[in-house]
Amino acid sequence: MVQQVMVQQVGAVTSEDGAGRAKGRSSLMRSPQFSSFVILIVLLAVFALADGNFLSPLNISNMMAFLPELGIIALGMTLLLTAGEFDLSVGAVFALAPVVVMLLVQNAGIDIGVALLAGLLLCIVIGAINGVIVTKIGISSFLVTLSMLLIVRGAALYITQGFPLKSWDQPGFFVTLLAGSFNIGAFRFYTSLWWFIGLSLLAVYVLRYAKLGNWISAIGSNRNAAVARGVPADAVKIWLFILTSVLAGLAGMISAFRISAASPVAGTGYELEVIAMVVVGGTALTGGRGTILGTIVGALMLRAIRNGIVLVGVPGLAYNIFVGVIILAMLILHALLQKNAARS
Amino acid sequence: MMQEVLRLQNLQKSFGSVRALKNASLTLREGEVVALLGDNGAGKSTLIKAISGVFPIDRGDIYVRGEKVSIRSTREAMDLGIETIHQDTSLAPDLSIARNLFLGREPVNLKWLGVFAPLDLAELRDAASALLKRVGISKKLDADALVSTLSGGERQSIAISRAMQFAAKVIILDEPTNNLGVEETHGVLRFVKEMRAAGHSVLLITHNIHHVFEVADRIIVMRRGEIVAEQTVADTDLLTVESLITGADLSALMKRAQ
Ligand SMILES: Nc1ncnc2c1ncn2[C@@H]1O[C@H](COP(=O)(O)OP(=O)(O)O)[C@@H](O)[C@H]1O
Ligand SMILES: [Mg+2]
Repeated sequence: MVQQVMVQQVGAVTSEDGAGRAKGRSSLMRSPQFSSFVILIVLLAVFALADGNFLSPLNISNMMAFLPELGIIALGMTLLLTAGEFDLSVGAVFALAPVVVMLLVQNAGIDIGVALLAGLLLCIVIGAINGVIVTKIGISSFLVTLSMLLIVRGAALYITQGFPLKSWDQPGFFVTLLAGSFNIGAFRFYTSLWWFIGLSLLAVYVLRYAKLGNWISAIGSNRNAAVARGVPADAVKIWLFILTSVLAGLAGMISAFRISAASPVAGTGYELEVIAMVVVGGTALTGGRGTILGTIVGALMLRAIRNGIVLVGVPGLAYNIFVGVIILAMLILHALLQKNAARS
Repeated sequence: MMQEVLRLQNLQKSFGSVRALKNASLTLREGEVVALLGDNGAGKSTLIKAISGVFPIDRGDIYVRGEKVSIRSTREAMDLGIETIHQDTSLAPDLSIARNLFLGREPVNLKWLGVFAPLDLAELRDAASALLKRVGISKKLDADALVSTLSGGERQSIAISRAMQFAAKVIILDEPTNNLGVEETHGVLRFVKEMRAAGHSVLLITHNIHHVFEVADRIIVMRRGEIVAEQTVADTDLLTVESLITGADLSALMKRAQ
């Protein structure tokens, strides 16, 4: 079902891109999100053939439970990368936000709603600091957000003394909102899937159809040109850093509520996993070219790989070899397609 | 006397200890092409970046149509009718021609949504196609083509058409024919003449003195952050201009050689 929807979406958007029908089709074939999509289908088919349980309701439900948590962060990261920056602190923010919320609730007796708001505010502050330092002082986002990763992760470890906290598990509005679940037939889905779908649609709209999306692509493509046309490049970047941080915090809270635990080491390594999802989908690491549909494909792909290689019996310690090889293969494919497009 | 459009008075700008603009004053009148000449590092780009709001000036005054203005951003310069085509590429290569032409001034529906307003894609494409036709880029450029697929000359033409479309009073071109082929260069010079004919004022920076004599009405020469000479094209010749740029008295040397 998901696959059919993807085919239609990729088709619809790309033909809108091209001038005529025929041209639309050829640019569809060459677009990076399309090649990623084809590879996703191949991977799914291989895993499905290799292990009958891969497409079982239980396994699909499992994949769909994890998918939104990294996927939501990947949406923000796609916009940020398109504007020419990235954020290595998302994994740490993923851990710190729920940890702070739970400490406020459990140690300070603050209402859960207020605590969630405070957590959100913390993410906004972290994103704003990243953005202001990168744009106003002019230090590369690699260095700024790497430092922020250490600060935020360190803070999460220090305030918890390294121990995971029991998360809020009393049923109520916020638990339903962030980590409620429902059944469709034999499938069990979490509300986080709705968050992911809703935010994805918003992101597609912003990047492809809104004035802001035009600015984001222009800034990443040629910042000076955008500024010369009166585009507020610094402000746009700062807001994108804030957005990415907030989405990372949101994903962290969703995860903590789902598993009823807030761990200071949660989300370790997520920053690279998320960036991998984004670039595998066809977004350029150098900015200017971003695709949300590609990121959704990339998120599905990495999720399917991680899940599938367990099922087909690859030894646990060898996972990352496979993940790395597949990512590298995808990037080579995109690079070759890009070269071809430039030549024609 | 033609009406004054832009007047700069005693502009100064330093980058740390480098005094890029020392005391620059100049006047641009309606419908004239003024060539701004000078060696590399003379301060030409700095002067026009100050006018177009890329960075603030340290001291001095700018008047547009006789009114004193302060230009604090590129947006403000554009709103005052000053369009600049910078030396370093002024287009975003990953965007389509149409999206580049309207960058920063996108036609949108539902304007109240602010930056989240949806682009009016039909209007964007139609206006872009019409503009491409009007400026006579005959080679059938598709408004949806990515700028990265265009040649240098085509990119320059796009940048120039963009400056023309908003009926700017002043169009500034910083070395627009650099890296262009012969034919493309002639295209750019033709644009400059068309702009003058349409009543725009043009400030043209170039290293090619032949071009200056082909299109300009007046010549302003800069050296080490200062304006050192101002002449009408009709009253001067190639050798004089060359010696003004380098600071050496070439025509005297030539006379002695004869
Ligand atoms: N952003 C900048 N930072 C520091 N120095 C600069 C900057 N822009 C220009 N300069 C210096 O100012 C002087 C004038 O440069 P510029 O205006 O680009 O000259 P031109 O365009 O006439 O070749 C040069 O010495 C240059 O090195
Ligand atoms: Mg220059």
